[in-house]
Amino acid sequence: MIAKMALAEKQSIHESWAPDREQTKGVAASVRGISKRFKKARVLEDVSFDVAEGESLVLLGASGSGKTTILRIIAGLEQPDTGEVILHGKDVTDMPARERGVGVIFQAYALFPRMTVEKNIAYGLKIRRRPRKERRETVDRLIKLVQLEAHRKKYPWQLSGGQQQRVAIARTLAYKPEVLLFDEPFGALDAQTRVHLRREIRALLRQVKVPSVFITHDQEEALELGDRIAVLNNGHLEQIGTPDEVYNHPETEYVATFLGAANLLLGVVAEGHVEIGTARFPAEKETARFREGQSVKLVFRPEDVCISQDANLPGNCRRLANGVIQEVNFVGAYERLSVRLDLTHRKGDTDALYQVTINTPQRMTGIPIMVTRPKPQANVTKYQAGDRVAIGLTSFSVLPNYTLVRQR
Amino acid sequence: MKIGSIRHVRGFDVARPLSIGAMLGIMLPLVLLPLLSIFVYGTSKGLGVFWSSLVAPEAIFALKLSMVTSFWATAFNVLFGLFAAYVLSRYNFWGRNAVIVTISLPTAIPTAVAGFALLLLWGKYGMIGHYLSEDQQIMFTPYAIILANVFVTFPLAFGVIKPVFDTMSRSLEEASATIGATRWQTFWHVTLPSLRGAIVSGALLTFARAVGEFGSTILVSGNLAGRTQTAPLYIFAKFNEGQIEAANAIAIVLALLSFVIFSVLFFARDWLEFETQEA
Repeated sequence: MIAKMALAEKQSIHESWAPDREQTKGVAASVRGISKRFKKARVLEDVSFDVAEGESLVLLGASGSGKTTILRIIAGLEQPDTGEVILHGKDVTDMPARERGVGVIFQAYALFPRMTVEKNIAYGLKIRRRPRKERRETVDRLIKLVQLEAHRKKYPWQLSGGQQQRVAIARTLAYKPEVLLFDEPFGALDAQTRVHLRREIRALLRQVKVPSVFITHDQEEALELGDRIAVLNNGHLEQIGTPDEVYNHPETEYVATFLGAANLLLGVVAEGHVEIGTARFPAEKETARFREGQSVKLVFRPEDVCISQDANLPGNCRRLANGVIQEVNFVGAYERLSVRLDLTHRKGDTDALYQVTINTPQRMTGIPIMVTRPKPQANVTKYQAGDRVAIGLTSFSVLPNYTLVRQR
Repeated sequence: MKIGSIRHVRGFDVARPLSIGAMLGIMLPLVLLPLLSIFVYGTSKGLGVFWSSLVAPEAIFALKLSMVTSFWATAFNVLFGLFAAYVLSRYNFWGRNAVIVTISLPTAIPTAVAGFALLLLWGKYGMIGHYLSEDQQIMFTPYAIILANVFVTFPLAFGVIKPVFDTMSRSLEEASATIGATRWQTFWHVTLPSLRGAIVSGALLTFARAVGEFGSTILVSGNLAGRTQTAPLYIFAKFNEGQIEAANAIAIVLALLSFVIFSVLFFARDWLEFETQEA
């Protein structure tokens, strides 16, 4: 019964991005059950996802997660061991790269050094032996689109990184690509240009409505660029969903910790609560898919913690436990607090399932969590190390606690 | 007075003029004076003598033969070097390093040995040569000179082109492929333009080396005046006959030619380096 409910819960999560919506919008590109090995190393394992028409999907993962390999497989620069690549309904798995008509924006842009901006952009049409007039018109339109009118006769080395990138995009748009693939597009740029450029690209993509796949290891970039984000870990697709879904409702511990900071507390499911040490955290809906007594992890972000010196937590805040402020740091845009949760076994308490004790050199007890508060809030109520506070959560996820074996 | 104390005299670095002077003092008699002497001696009997030795039919023939044979050897070695560099940097296969070493081997082989080896293979009683009929024999013909030049200058163009291939970013070719180009289009429009500098300098090096080739040529050509006598062989022959002026005129031409080639290589270096940087 519970198992069935768990299954139902799982399906409902997936439905938010699965076929229905995509069928109505139209699928531009699909990757179906892709696996790939390089010699002995497994790089990708049964990866499947769709990119909807006009959508931008971000493949997010640490280096070595296989995200570049997926991109190269879609582009046709690499062959998968199993699985298929479908572009606009056509199976292109066995097609060479040059027949696929995808646009790849390489990490270092790979502009042709001996060609001017114009010639770079016209290359795709020249290869296709389009008439000179059409070539010129297309190049004119694209140069205007990417705002490089003043640079059309320049060579790539005379352009800035951002300009080169725009040339690279225009060069692929010239032959109306099925899908645009961006390989770590901002990796070679400094932090400021990076933020500026990704907004520019986002605006450009909205304009041209070409479905695109980005790969990046930068979670901020992923959240900003993606209509949806696919998180990859060790060649395995951990979760795919809107930025809101993956950030606020991570399905795995990896997703929770890779996308931003997250606190993890080990607990057990008991009567619609998560028991963490002596704390009983009410989470009826969230624990419904777990067995009674199952070991789970309570995952929450530092900014989803509310603290209060009296017992009155805001209405949207579920009480977790009490704690002691250990450290207060001001880190620019927000305030960061380190708080020790008071979860230890108290004298006389016999019904706690187990007890949590952390042996630090100071033999302090309780579990440290990270809390952040926005500036306005931090300015109203100030805390000092040693203050006792009540702690509640506005948003959290309950995940199964798999320790050694990957089970999903 | 200790050496250390003379190094600087009131901020003046004494070591500077001393070391520059020492360097020039060594270089002058070893390199510059011999070169200078051919010009001094060659023109000492008047420009008329120089000119008539230059336009002697045998001399003209020798120069022409040198140019023509060197040209074909260069053409072959640049094309082959390009092809070999492409294959060896694009594909990994068993024994690849052995092939690279073998291609570079002729640099280390004495040219006389190279000529001798060619004779043993192609000569009348050689491994291949003895299957050829009398009028198919290529030893002691201009073809033998080309063959010897090819052998001796084999690694030069390859050696210049290969590193450029190796450092050329793969993603340029991949970008071209994803844009829709065939391998041939990619090679023609993307790869080749990036190799332009390397090809030019490889060709010049090969040509310069081939024009001056002596050791192998003298063995395989037979040194027949007006038939298989190249310019360096002509110098040697005329010198042996005691016709110093005749030898000297050609020596001047060869020296000037190498000056020209070398200056092109040297002064075009900025341009050539610029090419490889971009690639």
